[in-house]
Amino acid sequence: MNSIKSQLIVGVISTFCIFVSVHTSAQGHHHASNPVNRSIDKKQDSCQSNFLECANAATPYFTANGQLYLVWSAQGNVLIAKSTDLGKSFDSPKKLAEHGKTLDTGSDARPQILVDQQKILVAYAFFKDTQWNAQVNLIRSEDGGESFSTPLPLIQNDSSQRFPILGQSPQGEVWIIWVDKRLIQESKKRGNPMLGGSIAYAWSSDFGKTFIEEQIANKHTCECCRIGMAFNSEGLPFIVYRAILNGGIRDHVTQEIGKKRIGPVRRIALDDWKTDACPHHGPAITVSDKNDIHVAWFTQGSQRQGVFYAQSKDHEALYSQAKAIGSEGAIISRPYLLSNEQDIWIVWKEFNGKETRIMAQYSVTEGLEWSTSQVISKTAGYSDHPLLIKGQGKVFLSWLTRLDGYQFIALKK
Amino acid sequence: MPYQKGDWESILKKVTDEKVVIHFWGVTCAPCVKEMPLWGKFTHENKNAKIMYIQVDDVSKQMVEQMLQKANLSKGENFYLTTAFDEYLRYEIDPQWRGETPMTIWIDRDGRRTRKIGTTNFLELKRWFQKNNL
Repeated sequence: MNSIKSQLIVGVISTFCIFVSVHTSAQGHHHASNPVNRSIDKKQDSCQSNFLECANAATPYFTANGQLYLVWSAQGNVLIAKSTDLGKSFDSPKKLAEHGKTLDTGSDARPQILVDQQKILVAYAFFKDTQWNAQVNLIRSEDGGESFSTPLPLIQNDSSQRFPILGQSPQGEVWIIWVDKRLIQESKKRGNPMLGGSIAYAWSSDFGKTFIEEQIANKHTCECCRIGMAFNSEGLPFIVYRAILNGGIRDHVTQEIGKKRIGPVRRIALDDWKTDACPHHGPAITVSDKNDIHVAWFTQGSQRQGVFYAQSKDHEALYSQAKAIGSEGAIISRPYLLSNEQDIWIVWKEFNGKETRIMAQYSVTEGLEWSTSQVISKTAGYSDHPLLIKGQGKVFLSWLTRLDGYQFIALKK
Repeated sequence: MPYQKGDWESILKKVTDEKVVIHFWGVTCAPCVKEMPLWGKFTHENKNAKIMYIQVDDVSKQMVEQMLQKANLSKGENFYLTTAFDEYLRYEIDPQWRGETPMTIWIDRDGRRTRKIGTTNFLELKRWFQKNNL
């Protein structure tokens, strides 16, 4: 296995502020409760603007002093804006990258963001050639978002990198994980083509200026599903992803990764989903204060179908029996987990053909018992995945919808 | 041809009283792309088989056409999505379809449908088209 050192030297080249054409005279972008000045077309699907109302996917970052950054993709562009009132209004968005129809806007793709005081790091992927090889780009700001660098590739090769996920450990190190296809490419050249992709990762101690040595965590994984990442109290990352196991089974596993050590792969459940299709549904993970691992995933295996949850004590014990998530008869998808002190929260989408609802449950017993489900929000049109983020002692739902705006809702027990 | 949410009924109306296969694929979906030349081959070798192709990724029309050309399917009955590939779009096609691609719906003469996820067994497909009973 090759470990190639990747140097990423990024300078703040120039003030890179492109103010997107503002359709109205309003300064900020208003939350759904203030529907004035919205440029949305009645037919939601002919959305033309770069604003949140036409966005595909939006990813938040909530700073310790209550600033909410949002990075999103719209019209093939990557944009960023900041809110100081919990998402009710945002400042004028800045365009960070333009890729038109080659930006990766697949249903499991989303731009990534980390903020550390004045430094901002954004990652996303786009398709770089006619062979549909993808590339992960990084963008940095050193001045609190006044200016941004031009996007630069994380890896320089002719292979493919997709579905980046960024995380910052409690100790401040930045980790990036992605689906990598260099080994697949090599296997094709050898005449023995492998399916899927590999999970690769690298880490940085200078907030993404330079990354140390990418490693391959697993050579046989599903190439079209997002990866989940969470840190334990020692700053060790745990990842969850859909692997390709013997016999072409696409079931979920977790793995502890490290600077020098790549931990063993632990299968979460025997779902037995034998398929060569691209599911486009990736899993979620959170690590509690007690270092227990909590995971949620989607499967259509022969043993179970739908969305499920399980936990493992310390990653040492076997995973608990998979617990079905969501109401009977509803179409369940997009689970997301977050631990906050003694609470574990899970949210997911429920669809009944007419309306999409975001449901939530919490546990104060490390996932052994769960509250009844509550409806947090709903919409009747396109929406992004529900995400959870915490700050100011609370857990918030972050949810982008086409018809009901961007929502940032504090969860209550 | 463009395909958007709401079009499913009109697609079905085109094909009453005959067997038809509707194949959903994506330009950015590697297993789909790998398989497309086989669909091209099948379409050419079975000219009487009614097959429609619907491309679901948000990519340019040009890119779709390039891929179809590579697969020898330029002259096939091709559609590409012009609306979001979300649960609303999928629900009217097949409420149980969760978005996996490639996906194929086999519809027999009396309208009975079978959803198949993943790559196709073309030998099985050929036999199905050739069967005379319903």
